[in-house]
Amino acid sequence: MKKVLTVLGLMVTLGFSAPIDGYMQSLANEAKKADPSFKGFDAVSGKQIFTSEHIGKKGQNISCASCHTNDLKQAGKNTFTAKVIDPLSPKANKERLSDVKNVEKWLKRNFNDVYKREGTVVEKGDVLTYIKNY
Amino acid sequence: MKKYLIIATVATLFSGVTLFGVESKTVEKVYQKECGSCHMAYQPQFLPQRSWSKMMKKLDNHFDVDASLDANDNKTILVYLTSNAGDVKASTKHFSKMSNSITSNETPLRISQTPYFLREHRGIPKRFIEQKEVKSLANCTACHTTANQGSYSERAIKIPNYGRWED
Repeated sequence: MKKVLTVLGLMVTLGFSAPIDGYMQSLANEAKKADPSFKGFDAVSGKQIFTSEHIGKKGQNISCASCHTNDLKQAGKNTFTAKVIDPLSPKANKERLSDVKNVEKWLKRNFNDVYKREGTVVEKGDVLTYIKNY
Repeated sequence: MKKYLIIATVATLFSGVTLFGVESKTVEKVYQKECGSCHMAYQPQFLPQRSWSKMMKKLDNHFDVDASLDANDNKTILVYLTSNAGDVKASTKHFSKMSNSITSNETPLRISQTPYFLREHRGIPKRFIEQKEVKSLANCTACHTTANQGSYSERAIKIPNYGRWED
């Protein structure tokens, strides 16, 4: 019976450790491998990535904040289609950062939309750190 | 302890049942989630099969936006769109007219540039379309209050900062 409890306990623990942490850890491992002096992700750089404007895929000056706004706890609005976007901060919207596949999809899309290229592992980790702790 | 194990087993079984229930609706849900997060999830009947096939092949540049999907989700959505497309399943008067207005030698990608759509929207002042609540003719729900249900009747039109529209 003790064994059963241990197994159950382990399952509960695994179930509760958030998948996003595993994903961010794998980004950190990759960053460390590429650059041994890498110390960890930085929310300040993440904020810079999020709020700075660039000529995006549509040829217009935009930033992540153009759609998500500067207040991640508030709903945003797609600047091209006017569709409402739920808040990005996991503190305001528990769905956020809960599904790694979804996170990877949007990072790829939105880096391309704003920066016209995919994000590097460090950039992705920084911006996720910013969003996660907002 | 046995009791708890039984409860756990029963709970697992029930969650399994729920999962299967969701499974049957997944296609519609995937479409709503993947396509409906940036714009209204347009009814597949708006365009013919060939248009959807062409569109789903180049989602990495979807009207100058990256809307790329993984291969599985892309396939799921493509099947949904093509099996409900306007040239195989036009269920209302509006969708039939829309479908019939598209000539067979054309493969439109923008619903808002099909002949029937243009005809129905001519005469609407630019300022109603360009205002911030609407932005473009692609934003059906801004004025068609029942667009999400696939109904575009004139009675359900309400233009922001203007009101009902009758032509």
